[in-house]
Amino acid sequence: MDVDPRQYENITINDNDSHNIVLSYLIHGCFKDTVESLVASTGLKVPAVQLEDMEKRKRILHFALEGNALDAIALTEHVSPDLLENNKDLLFDLLSLHFVELICSRKCTEALEFAQAKLTPFGKVQKYVEKLEDFMALLAYEEPEKSPMFHLLSFEYRQHVADSLNRAILAHANMPSYSALEKLIRQATVVRQCLSEELGKDVQSAFSLKEFLKS
Amino acid sequence: MGGVGSVGPPSKRRKVSSTEIPEKSSVSMADDAIGSKGVKKVEFVRLIADALHSLGYRKTGEYLEKESGITLFPSVINEFSQQILDGNWDESLNSLRKISILDESVVKSSSFVILEQKFLQLLDSQNPDDALRTLRTEITPLSINHNRVRELSSLVLCSGQAMVKPKPRSVVLHDLQKLFPPNVMIPEGRLLHLVEQALDLQRDSCSFHNSLIGKTSLFIDHNCGKDQIPSKTLQILQEHEDEVWFLQFSHNGKFLASSSRDKSAIIWEVNLDGKVSLKHRLLGHKKPVSSVSWSPNDDQILTCGVEDVIKRWDVISGECLCVYQKNDLGMVSCCWTPEGDRVFSGATDKSVIMWDLDGNELESWPSQKTVRISDLQIMGDGRYIVSICKENMIDIFDRSPLGCERIIKENHNIVSFTLSEDKKFLLVSLVNQEIHLWRIHGDIRLLARYKGHKVSRFVVRACFGGLDQAFVASGSEDSRVYIWYRETGELLETLAGHSGAVNCTSWNPTNPHMLASASDDRTIHIWGLNHVD
Repeated sequence: MDVDPRQYENITINDNDSHNIVLSYLIHGCFKDTVESLVASTGLKVPAVQLEDMEKRKRILHFALEGNALDAIALTEHVSPDLLENNKDLLFDLLSLHFVELICSRKCTEALEFAQAKLTPFGKVQKYVEKLEDFMALLAYEEPEKSPMFHLLSFEYRQHVADSLNRAILAHANMPSYSALEKLIRQATVVRQCLSEELGKDVQSAFSLKEFLKS
Repeated sequence: MGGVGSVGPPSKRRKVSSTEIPEKSSVSMADDAIGSKGVKKVEFVRLIADALHSLGYRKTGEYLEKESGITLFPSVINEFSQQILDGNWDESLNSLRKISILDESVVKSSSFVILEQKFLQLLDSQNPDDALRTLRTEITPLSINHNRVRELSSLVLCSGQAMVKPKPRSVVLHDLQKLFPPNVMIPEGRLLHLVEQALDLQRDSCSFHNSLIGKTSLFIDHNCGKDQIPSKTLQILQEHEDEVWFLQFSHNGKFLASSSRDKSAIIWEVNLDGKVSLKHRLLGHKKPVSSVSWSPNDDQILTCGVEDVIKRWDVISGECLCVYQKNDLGMVSCCWTPEGDRVFSGATDKSVIMWDLDGNELESWPSQKTVRISDLQIMGDGRYIVSICKENMIDIFDRSPLGCERIIKENHNIVSFTLSEDKKFLLVSLVNQEIHLWRIHGDIRLLARYKGHKVSRFVVRACFGGLDQAFVASGSEDSRVYIWYRETGELLETLAGHSGAVNCTSWNPTNPHMLASASDDRTIHIWGLNHVD
């Protein structure tokens, strides 16, 4: 779909809106120092409590990304009590991170004991059974990186768990779990795709965000 | 003449060493065949030795091995088997590696089987750490059967519980036997299996086969002569006063019922010595009796008068228990449901009626369900009604709400039909002097034709019979009884003796050597074997 510059000119954008969009993105990602810079340059107001919470959240996520699930869990309990109680999926994912840590440090006996103590209770619920089996299968390999389940050891997996944890903590604190920036991008993409479908056949390809931003 | 290096086929001089599997030298032993079909002597002797061992004749088996110079198993295999049975997994793995002719994939799969048992045993004795070590260091590196490796990992959590019970060791040995090529570990009971195969083949090719398995012997080929089929008149029953139209043995083979133009039916008893005697005369019909029908448990019988009423009788007392009739209608056929709780009848207005035992009409299917002189059968727990609905068509009607109708169409008029005991097959007698065998279970298909008898003016009936219902018998207008081999349609016997058209035959369901026939000459013949067994 061709860009029609005339349409764009007619829309006014409020500076404040732009600043808030950037701010929400930074808060979501716990970029504390950058937030402080932005606040200093733009005159936005951010309550101190929010800054502290952001600091704590940053530490929790950092633990998770390192694979230090136990500390992540402890701090989460401290910051948002009951969160993990009510979110068993997340708890399982975090516990499994610790299990993976033990495996990677080749502490098999400890890993086995940990699994028996903390993970097997989940096995009573059908939806966790397959996941549990995936993790347990790691025990069979002396070089888990070479097993079929190697993706469970990867940084991407830890990132995935950390993201879920982040959204859960934000939701728990009644803050939006998706940043305004993310929402806008999603909205724009969906709208463009719908429109291009409606217009029919002589449209070449699906909407590409990258191309759009370059144009 | 020649020294060691001279010409001569190596086989004559080479001896089989006891640690090699004989087959390694089979290239040179190949010309040691026995018989004319290439049976290898080495294999034959090994089978015999194996059979001797499994019968418990160890000494004889070992002596045979010594005397023939052909070993049953090299000693390493024996050691291996024993180690498996004793549960010495690690030693068995060592022996496995010594068996040189196994190829890599067999070695791996066998190792997996053995290590799996070792793993389960460790778990079963509450030793999860050692089990885990076995899994990690021995099983996983085999790099096969990854799904099973995954399952075993999960089992580590279940140490000591029921699901980690190892298999019995004889089963493990059996599983390993299946993995090994057959010339290394001979499949269990192989010689017996070959003999049983031969016996099956002999039986299958015997078209006169009409006796039970106990009579087979290994000393001669199984081949029944015609002497297993009833072919001699043993008894003539002369109690009817007019043409005998129908007869049928009861399901338990203890009684025979016949019906006649003389307006009566007779219940006969089959005594233990094979003689048939009159038990009851069922009198009271005002018209000739066209057919009878035994209740499923043989305690009652229905008789059908020609376009008249149906009566229900008690077999023990001979009393008439109930009469089925409908105003202005005559009945043409009758039949029980398999539960014995309902009676079906065909009527002169081409309808089929269902009755309860007390004579009350429960339901009727009005149109085009039957023709004037007809047969009727019920199958499938009372769900299907089978009848001749038009002169050349048989209708299998499904009574259930969404049921459909299936039709068998013939090119000639149908005279009668019979349903097999297992309700899967139909014998249809046609006016063009053929009997057709149809399969009605699953796809409807014409399976065979039987010819040679005579049908042109009268209703003539056919029946199944003999051991496993292997034969088809029919009456004929030329006064003979005809017997065919069901499978091939081959005419096996024609039995002469009657002096009038034979209308109906019935084979005793519990005595494959007894056949009864009913004729226009007013008699019933009981046929049996032509010699004393």
